[in-house]
Amino acid sequence: MTFEDAYRLSPELILGFFAILIVLLDLGVRRKGWLAALTLVGLGASAAWTAVLTAGGWQGTALGDTLAVDNFSLFFKFLFLGAAALVVLASTGYSIRFARFQGEYYALVLTSAAGMMLMASGRELITLYISLELTSLSLYALAGFLKDPRSNEASLKYLLLGAISSAVLLYGMALLLGLTGETHLDAIANALGRMPGANYPVLFLGIIFIVTGFGFKIAAVPFQMWVPDVYEGSPTPVTAYLSVASKAAGFAITLRVFTLALGGPREAADWSLIFAILAVASMTLGNILAIPQANIKRMLGYSSIAQAGYLMVGLATLSDLGRSGIIFFLASYAFTNLGAFIAVIAISHRIDSDLISDYAGMAHRSPLLAGALTFCLISLVGIPPTAGFIAKVYLFNAAVQQGLAWLVIIAVVNSVISAYYYLGVVKAMFMGTPLSLERVTAVRPALAALAVATVGVLVVGILPEPLISIAQAVGRSLIP
Amino acid sequence: MSVQLEHYLVLGAILFAIGFYGALSRRNAVAILMSIEIMFNAVNVTFVALSRYVTPTLLTGQVFAIFVITVAAGEAALGLAIIIGIYRSRATVHVDEMDLLKG
Amino acid sequence: MTGAQFLFYALGLATVMGGLGVVLSRNVVHSALALLLSLIAVAGIYVLLYAEFLALVQVLIYGGAIVILLLFVLMLTRSGESPLVLDNPQKPVALVVSLLFMAIAIVSFFLTRWKLAQAPRGVDFSVLGGSLFQDWVLPFEVASLVLLVALMGAIIIARESPQ
Repeated sequence: MTFEDAYRLSPELILGFFAILIVLLDLGVRRKGWLAALTLVGLGASAAWTAVLTAGGWQGTALGDTLAVDNFSLFFKFLFLGAAALVVLASTGYSIRFARFQGEYYALVLTSAAGMMLMASGRELITLYISLELTSLSLYALAGFLKDPRSNEASLKYLLLGAISSAVLLYGMALLLGLTGETHLDAIANALGRMPGANYPVLFLGIIFIVTGFGFKIAAVPFQMWVPDVYEGSPTPVTAYLSVASKAAGFAITLRVFTLALGGPREAADWSLIFAILAVASMTLGNILAIPQANIKRMLGYSSIAQAGYLMVGLATLSDLGRSGIIFFLASYAFTNLGAFIAVIAISHRIDSDLISDYAGMAHRSPLLAGALTFCLISLVGIPPTAGFIAKVYLFNAAVQQGLAWLVIIAVVNSVISAYYYLGVVKAMFMGTPLSLERVTAVRPALAALAVATVGVLVVGILPEPLISIAQAVGRSLIP
Repeated sequence: MSVQLEHYLVLGAILFAIGFYGALSRRNAVAILMSIEIMFNAVNVTFVALSRYVTPTLLTGQVFAIFVITVAAGEAALGLAIIIGIYRSRATVHVDEMDLLKG
Repeated sequence: MTGAQFLFYALGLATVMGGLGVVLSRNVVHSALALLLSLIAVAGIYVLLYAEFLALVQVLIYGGAIVILLLFVLMLTRSGESPLVLDNPQKPVALVVSLLFMAIAIVSFFLTRWKLAQAPRGVDFSVLGGSLFQDWVLPFEVASLVLLVALMGAIIIARESPQ
């Protein structure tokens, strides 16, 4: 590894360094708040270095062609770092529950962020796989952090199903390797272009397996079984992190692998149809199953399955506009979902319950938190003036332009259905009778994070142009 | 070559199918982990065979297999630790008895 | 039948038998031992494929560490004492999917025209080492982080919290 290479890898190296530093300092530091602050410093340093790399304007590959430095990877690095920072801020009150493992909590958040950043930057299969596993293992451990029976159960289910999907993904990658003799994505595309038609069945099998493996990560139906249980049992900050960052990482890696390696007309026609079907299944199942949920974390879990469905519409488009639509949607979804979850973390932590019925009358007890949560839920439905509205309009427009009007119609119908359960929470908060008149407050770091997220939702909803041009630049950089 | 590539691939496929069946049908969490290990081994056999027949000088498949073994070991360790944790609080390792989350 | 063919079929049979033992055996400890058989047989297959280092790693890590860990956990969770393991209703679906996959895969494998390369007798082990530290240095370093994370996670989750 040369200095040049290390420089390109520095955002991730910084996170790795800080992760280890925090675990070591945890031995001596009394007030764990310092560890949270140190985590934020680490995330900030990594973001600063990413900014330096961006400003440098250098685009290319590093480390023996395994790592890509392009707008795509740089954008996602910022996304993951930002999401991690908001989650760390939001965990400040909550992390007391982790007793003496607080240092490790922050360290695992950092390692999973590093893994996600690598997932978005990898250019060949081995790097992509190992960074996927780094992220996943960190998240399996984080899911079990509460050490109560439910958290353990969530962690086990996540790990078992994750390992199965990982094995399936690997088998698909092996088939790709076998057909082409390559692991670098662009070399695979080249070789597939020259592949004889008789080999197509194995390629198709490989595609199905890779879709399965990634489908688990992005929580697409029929690989979504783990979501409600893991979302419910994990510590809520971890759930927030999972729903935003892990999903975005899943989409990043899916976009890169399918666009770069499997972009040939024959394959693309097949997998775009597969994703279209999965999109319909995810939207519909996610929305329908969200309706009867009583636990807000489970409801948001099913909601994220549906949101993955909307995102997969973008995958089915096979167009530059569709890809930039996915990127815009992911950014908007990050603000929105994090905002919603931070509010949930604060409220549930105070009232010690995750049941929607216990949120009744919350508007009287905490107008700030209830207001923020309402705004984010409205964004999830897709009503103006929120980021969610613009995201859906942008993405669905891209789909219509590619002749996928039927898919868009289903998506719009689903959005309308989703209003029922999202607004159900709003209704409970504003019109229900509160169980007690005790005020619900949150610690300042969490409020700061909530402010950032909610303001983000509003700003992107009113002034989407800057983010749109960023998304388009990022989407274009995917295909060199 | 007396044994062709296809034979190894078929072996890999059979093992993968066996492991997949086990992972979905067994009740004991440790047994599920063992089935997953079978799946990983199937993948590795596929990788190493492909390495020998398709990329013999680059050894790409073998390198991939090394990483798979590494990750599989890590996952097994973490999974078993979680199983111990669950056993300690609920005295069971059967996944159908783990129903605290309304799955 | 040549020596190599005979070895392949013998080892292949052992692997498959071991695999079936893992998924079908009612006693979980028997499953663990069947797993051991399967893993060692796979190591033999690696030797047939001229991947001696990998065979060594397989025996050491899988046979020497993972199976032992599995047996420990089986002992600690008293799994040997309740040998009757009645499996769940998902079985038929899983069976159908597995068999279907196997059939499709096997047929496709024989239909495919693989790009076979001229294989030398055996590639020097130093090539593997060299490529791990040069071409694949990034995954290599990330793998070390993966192991650290697994270690941390395992300790955190398995430790008794002081009540």
